Amino acid sequence: MNPPVRALVAAPTVEAARQVMERIATHLSRVVQGKEAQARLTVTSVIAGGHVLLEDVPGVGKTTLAEALARACGLSFSRIQFTADLMPTDILGSQVFHAASATFTFRQGPIFRQLVLADELNRAPPRTQSALLEGMAHGQVSLDGATWPLPAPFTVVATQNPVDLTGTYPLPDSQLDRFLMRLSLGHPAPDVEARLLTTRGRTPPVETLEAVTGPEELLSLRAFAAGLRMDDAVAEYIVRLARATREHGDIERGASTRAVLAVGGAARAQALWEGRDFVTPGDVRAVLVPCLAHRLMLRSNVQGAAAREEASHLLEELARKVVAPR
Amino acid sequence: MARLRVPARGTTGGGSVSGASRLRLVLRDLAAGAAFASMAVSGQLPTWTLLLFGLALVSALMGWRIFARRTKATAAVLLGVAGVLVFSVYAGHVDLVVASCAFAGLIAGHRLLSMPEPRTDGQVHLAGLLMVAGGAALSGELAFALCLLAFGVLASLSMGLSVVEGAVPPGEPVPVRAVMRPLGSGIFFAVCGAAAFFLLFPRLNWNMAARRSAPGLGATTGLADTVRLGGEGTLKSNPRVVLRAQLTPDPVRERLDAYWLARTYDTFDGQEWTSIGQPKRTRPRVTLRHGGEHSIHQRIELLPAYGGTTLVALETPTRLGNALAHSATGSQRTPLTELGGGEVRFQVPAIAYSYEATSLPPEEDATTPMSEAERGQLLALPDRLDPRVAALAQRVLQGEKDPLAAARKLAAFLQREYTYTLELSGDVEEPLVDFLFVRKAGHCEHFATALTLLLRTQGISARLASGFFGGERVEDGYVVRAGDAHAWTHVLMPGRGFVTVDATPPANRASQSLAALEFLTGLYEALETRWRSTVVDFSLRDQLQLAQGLVRPPRGPRRDTTRLPPARIWGLAIAAGLVTYSVWQLLSRRSSSPKPHQATHLADAVERLLGEAGVRMREGEALEELTSRLTREQPTLAAPLVPLTRRYLEARFGQRPLQPGETERLLGPLRQVLQTRRAS
Repeated sequence: MNPPVRALVAAPTVEAARQVMERIATHLSRVVQGKEAQARLTVTSVIAGGHVLLEDVPGVGKTTLAEALARACGLSFSRIQFTADLMPTDILGSQVFHAASATFTFRQGPIFRQLVLADELNRAPPRTQSALLEGMAHGQVSLDGATWPLPAPFTVVATQNPVDLTGTYPLPDSQLDRFLMRLSLGHPAPDVEARLLTTRGRTPPVETLEAVTGPEELLSLRAFAAGLRMDDAVAEYIVRLARATREHGDIERGASTRAVLAVGGAARAQALWEGRDFVTPGDVRAVLVPCLAHRLMLRSNVQGAAAREEASHLLEELARKVVAPR
Repeated sequence: MARLRVPARGTTGGGSVSGASRLRLVLRDLAAGAAFASMAVSGQLPTWTLLLFGLALVSALMGWRIFARRTKATAAVLLGVAGVLVFSVYAGHVDLVVASCAFAGLIAGHRLLSMPEPRTDGQVHLAGLLMVAGGAALSGELAFALCLLAFGVLASLSMGLSVVEGAVPPGEPVPVRAVMRPLGSGIFFAVCGAAAFFLLFPRLNWNMAARRSAPGLGATTGLADTVRLGGEGTLKSNPRVVLRAQLTPDPVRERLDAYWLARTYDTFDGQEWTSIGQPKRTRPRVTLRHGGEHSIHQRIELLPAYGGTTLVALETPTRLGNALAHSATGSQRTPLTELGGGEVRFQVPAIAYSYEATSLPPEEDATTPMSEAERGQLLALPDRLDPRVAALAQRVLQGEKDPLAAARKLAAFLQREYTYTLELSGDVEEPLVDFLFVRKAGHCEHFATALTLLLRTQGISARLASGFFGGERVEDGYVVRAGDAHAWTHVLMPGRGFVTVDATPPANRASQSLAALEFLTGLYEALETRWRSTVVDFSLRDQLQLAQGLVRPPRGPRRDTTRLPPARIWGLAIAAGLVTYSVWQLLSRRSSSPKPHQATHLADAVERLLGEAGVRMREGEALEELTSRLTREQPTLAAPLVPLTRRYLEARFGQRPLQPGETERLLGPLRQVLQTRRAS
């Protein structure tokens, strides 16, 4: 950990926070090349205290991104591969009987880490998916009448494949609403892919990434970001955007109040990128699509990638039409 | 004097007073001033209290809170003042109500000079309310209403501002403009609402203020039972109208050189004139003497500025009656009492009166009924009259025996040898001797007294008459001003009755106020008359009439008794109401629509400049997005644009307002770049 970064824990400033975020994003970009924007949004989400849903075809670096994030942030990490036969106890842990002492002891599942990668979340049945829910919402796990706190900060990065939907269980709304952002990595640009080929040997493996921050500082940064100033006009702008999604003819169910709060939180963290201690409408628009697109229920029956695209288009159209404060 | 400028917000800290606090304090102090003025216009407060409060108010407005440090010690001063007032009440110099009002004013003055904190503000406003109530008890005049209105507006603004100031966290600017505008319009509508309430709410007609008969600012003190030589000289410059009269037959003259008689005096003790006549009967109508062929009928109105209860009529009054007393609770008939000296008084105290009178020309007065005692008194002289008086009369008359000729000869002598002046200071032992042989200058009372006494030394019966001289045509009637108050001599001619002989030089008989002052007073009088008829005297009966008139318009020939305004006035009122309503709609719509932020003007200016240079914004694109786009597309433009946008965002969403002149400073580099682009 760098000495100046450690100083942040005591009294974060906008500039110091931005530097930390920049360093994390640089680390992420080093291992997932050509995805700077997504890397920054991932960092934004983590600083805003949210969980991230990565949605894309396999092999574009979703897992790598999650692992790199854990390493750069100095967080304990676990990866859970969701499959059709995965049971809730496989995630949460279980009571183990000790014959010698004739007692049950709790054996922690893989969820007891600071950053959990839930790979292909939609492959598991809803019951198993929901096992994550309490942990994501409240930072704790309840099992057999007992409650165990999860380590702080607790962040889930989940992935799902939006194309091959056969035999999958679409995430229920309550689960989707827990994710602050849904990001799509997409295939890298041709030149990046070509560069990957030529520089593969020189790309540092994820294991070699150094931590640029730690859990303690991350918590401090989250508190700092949450305290940034938001003008009434900006708050009102977010609400107007949310209302516009509720009143839009093509949208069955618009943004919830939790979604409004999510946009506000993400916009605050986004403001730090610009070295500002206040939120602007531009910050709101920058996080609007990643924060809201997965929370809208559309009237058209499209699924998967098409639905994601349509929702993004609708939100961009609303962002153009709803007059921003000026 | 230790000058202490203290912070207005809170009691701690030594920072400077913010603009909002200063404005609030000035408004508070002015409100207290208006409240005090509402009492002061009654003209009844002792002069020294006026001076003390005025001093406190001026100090407070200058920001000198000289009592801030030692509130308790300085409160002892108030105790002293209270003592003086109690003594004044005990000695009979000051009425208890007046003393209480004056004390309330001085408490307010003390509070004005104390540390400006929320508690003091409350006390100042409370004292203001008390003073306004005191003002209502002392007079219900137009000037009071104006002060009340001023107090209401100023105190409301001050209190509104203090509420907003309390809500704003310390260190942050108070949005004075944003507050004052809606507050101002709110108060405007509140005043309109109060006026509507006044017109429409049923009148209770309680006699809340029996003191309403107080004369008000600049009033005469009325006609006293005695005339003391040397007093009341300064009345000559007072232009307030005390009497309005319509004469039948109307002589149609611009200036009426007539004597308006109020009463006569027959006894002079060397210093003051009194009358030996005893009060006679009380009745609705008084006949003083028999009428003649040349009677002049008068319909007279005595205005609040008159301030007395003695009836006034053209010389020589024969009959007086049909008197109405106008008070705060409406008009009522009042019986009249005849007193000695031909004086007739109203029985009911009120602020104004109207009555009818008939008079004969003075020379035709042959029938004045007088008792023997009264007749004998017309020759009485003071006990110790200086022998030089009789010698002077003898020397001037040179054997003239005819009373009228003698009187005219003496009057001519006095006018020739003596000068008219209002500058007389202090009481003298023998004012008549002082006038005749020492100063040789005086005003009408001196001239009249001298003539009367000179005649009596020669055995010619005479008396002093007082009232008004003059009359100025206004519309189809005549007005008489306070400055027209006058005194003259009645000479008894055997077989002819009393004849008026005026020893005062003719130029000095009538009012001597400035024309401009008269014009202004005329305006005030007109407003006050309107105020009295439409506000003070606006009773439940008037309201009922108004409502009846609206529901069932009067048929047949219109009677004069109704106070309903003509139809066109109603039309105008409805039109005014509609205009007010639409203005209100417009204002409320405008105030509800979001007002552009101060920083938005900067963004507008940037967009205008860029638009002129051909840089167009995309649909829904904000300045910050445009700047980041231009950073990629046109780096030369982005260079001046980036700091500008950053500052705009700070000012608009970061609560760091733009400083004066900063907008121009920020726009400068962008203008330069755009000019260079255009030139290349």
